[in-house]
Amino acid sequence: MTDVKTYLREWAMPHVLCPGCAHGIVLRSFLNAVDQLQIDQDKLAMVAGIGCSSRLVGYVDFCTLHGTHGRAPAFATGLKLARPDLKVVVVTGDGDALAIGGNHLIHAARRNIDITVLLLNNSIYGMTGGQAAPTTPEGALASTTPAGNTEPNFDACKLLMGAGASFVARVLAANPMDMTKVMADGLDHPGFSFIEVISDCPEYFGRYNKVGGGAEMLTWMSVRDEGVAGPLAEKRFVNHIPIESVPSGMETGVLQREIRPVYAGVRKVEDHES
Amino acid sequence: MSRNEIRIAGAGGQGVVTAGRILAEAAILSGNDATHSQVYGPQSRGGASRSDVVIASGEIGFPLADDIDLLIVLSGEAYSRYEPELSSEGRLVVDSRCAPSDLNGDARQFAVVDTARAISGSQLVTGVVALGVLQALEDVVEADALREAVSARVPRKHREMNLEALQAGMELVGGGGA
Amino acid sequence: MSQAQLIQGNEACVKGALAAGCRFYGGYPITPSSEIAEQMVRLLPDLGGVFIQMEDEIASLASVIGASLAGSKAMTATSGPGFSLMQEHIGYAAMTEVPCVVVNVMRGGPSTGLPTSPSQGDVMQARWGTHGDHPAIVLAPSSVAEVFDVTVKAFNLAERFRTPVIILYDEIIGHTRESVVLPDSIEVVDRVQPTDAPADFWPMIAPDDGVPPLPAFGDGYRFHVTGLAHDERGFPTNDAQVAEALVARLHNKIDAHLDEVIEVDTYMVDDAEIAVFAYGIVGRSAREAVMRARDNGIKAGLIRPVTLWPFPYEQVAEVAAQVDTILVAEMNLGQIIGEVERAAAGKAEIKGYLRADGEPITPTALLEAITPDKEGQR
Repeated sequence: MTDVKTYLREWAMPHVLCPGCAHGIVLRSFLNAVDQLQIDQDKLAMVAGIGCSSRLVGYVDFCTLHGTHGRAPAFATGLKLARPDLKVVVVTGDGDALAIGGNHLIHAARRNIDITVLLLNNSIYGMTGGQAAPTTPEGALASTTPAGNTEPNFDACKLLMGAGASFVARVLAANPMDMTKVMADGLDHPGFSFIEVISDCPEYFGRYNKVGGGAEMLTWMSVRDEGVAGPLAEKRFVNHIPIESVPSGMETGVLQREIRPVYAGVRKVEDHES
Repeated sequence: MSRNEIRIAGAGGQGVVTAGRILAEAAILSGNDATHSQVYGPQSRGGASRSDVVIASGEIGFPLADDIDLLIVLSGEAYSRYEPELSSEGRLVVDSRCAPSDLNGDARQFAVVDTARAISGSQLVTGVVALGVLQALEDVVEADALREAVSARVPRKHREMNLEALQAGMELVGGGGA
Repeated sequence: MSQAQLIQGNEACVKGALAAGCRFYGGYPITPSSEIAEQMVRLLPDLGGVFIQMEDEIASLASVIGASLAGSKAMTATSGPGFSLMQEHIGYAAMTEVPCVVVNVMRGGPSTGLPTSPSQGDVMQARWGTHGDHPAIVLAPSSVAEVFDVTVKAFNLAERFRTPVIILYDEIIGHTRESVVLPDSIEVVDRVQPTDAPADFWPMIAPDDGVPPLPAFGDGYRFHVTGLAHDERGFPTNDAQVAEALVARLHNKIDAHLDEVIEVDTYMVDDAEIAVFAYGIVGRSAREAVMRARDNGIKAGLIRPVTLWPFPYEQVAEVAAQVDTILVAEMNLGQIIGEVERAAAGKAEIKGYLRADGEPITPTALLEAITPDKEGQR
């Protein structure tokens, strides 16, 4: 196995992520998958939006595009169509992909363009200081939901399955071996592959909701497959959490996999008319 | 001919825009400069439709019609909308179906729509019949260029029908009109 | 020379783009620009190019920037409402120095406004629509033939200076068909490629002319592109000096080469007492009005910028020194007129002929405006 540092821009370190943040584990798992597949380092482009997860692309030694908030799938679409020989991977967060960028994400899935999207879901806006996201569970505390979140949250995988993504999977940051395997499957999948990674944000989500630091949040994940819902459910002192509505387990693994035509741009007019 | 502004106005489905393009293309084939503009509205079908063609022997400065020299009207709605805008020097040609009883004495009227219907079974070639009328009345472009432009612009399977419509329009004038 | 053909401004734009080497179009339908997309989809695949209809205008320009980083010359086209949505990525392209061309076929505004009527209401938005201090190159053709030339120039300037270039014309230019003889050959400029080996390559080190080389993603140069303020290695920084140097270079790379960017057409200004300042379709009305005024013995002239931004301050100042009055005619309630005032700096009286009702400014109307009344007043 190649030294993982081969794929890193060590000169760009130290990185901006907080202690206890699982995004680094996710990145390592991804680089292991890249190494397993022996993807040419010059032919891998990583595209990101805005947020903590999106900052990961600054530290990897590929062609990296740190775009605008939520638009990474649209940048990636142009990149992939203009250079089909590139392997194109989007790294995005839950606010980036599901709030401001929701439209771009579902249309990339619908087209079945051959890119891989890694959505690092930490249930909150980390970079801007802990505001509620479309993934923040009902009842959870955030800087913009001081009395508990009153909005229902998205199930990203169900959303993407509905949009027609041909590969949909959910993995846990607490389970790095499994992450690498599923990421390798997703990278290998012809067409649009979507992988939701349940990550954590101890600095904001963990602190606001008193569910512990990085170690505690990852421990919860590894034993109960619940992401933040598990520790939240145990925190009965947190106001407004409808305990009975917390799912007992979050479905993980590859949830959808099908082979359908990959989008490669429009056909020539005569091809169509003949 | 310094500058000649021609407006063909009718209803959607009469081929008014195509007729305007053909006239401008014929003018270019005749060695003149020409522009063509059309009115865009939100609807794709029905409603009023308008083509303006500016033809000049030299380079055209302002490409839009500013002072119409000749107005061809092919529907009642187009008549009520555009006839009042025509200056006192402007010449008027009206389809006989939409000519009002008090039509200006200098205006000419011809059975453009009926002729088109007789040829195509619909109003589709009305604009091309109108071009035949225009050519016979004013000789604005070379007749061969007009035929060539019609042939080049319309779909191949409708070419003969359109050339027939053009000829029929010219003959309407030969017959002295109504 | 090829044959004269009767084509719309939007068609001329497509022909110019393809001649200049455009091989990627990402767009979203909007009147009165849609003919550009409808032609591109038919022509690009045969040239090995890519067409995609994106989910909105934000995504359209994002796809264009992605394609440009992949080495394709790329463009999009839109109108006012879509242009508003594109502002985010116009700024991104300016900051990341990604060449691209954005066409805005202007219609009446604000908001949804008058979708099928012309206007020149987006002149200031084209300059200042996106946030922050950024350079802008904005070109305004006034005929179908000039749309072809300007589109070629837009691609060449985008590649030359690694910057977004905006083409502004209105619904009349977009839809009117005019007789055009297209040139058999044109000059085509391509972005500069690095000479350093990939291992030594720092993407944001600029040579003396201020424009760093730009390799394509996938060509062996691995580098970072970010809209954050960045250093010469392309990496984010909060260092005030580095950020200031970056923004200064973004401006200077264009300001130091104004002769390559600015194009102004003048007509009969040498002995003129009154000059009409007009661009786009109004430039055509103005020229016709000036000709008619000369026939009537009025000493009128025309100054018609093809380049709206950077604004041709020097050229306007020269005319202002010669004439008594400059009449600024534009299809808005007064946008570029403020720049004319700045350029004239009191040397000529500046008057406006402004209209924002979706109707064109006609030669007849302008002739009346430049013709003195019995008291000699205009």
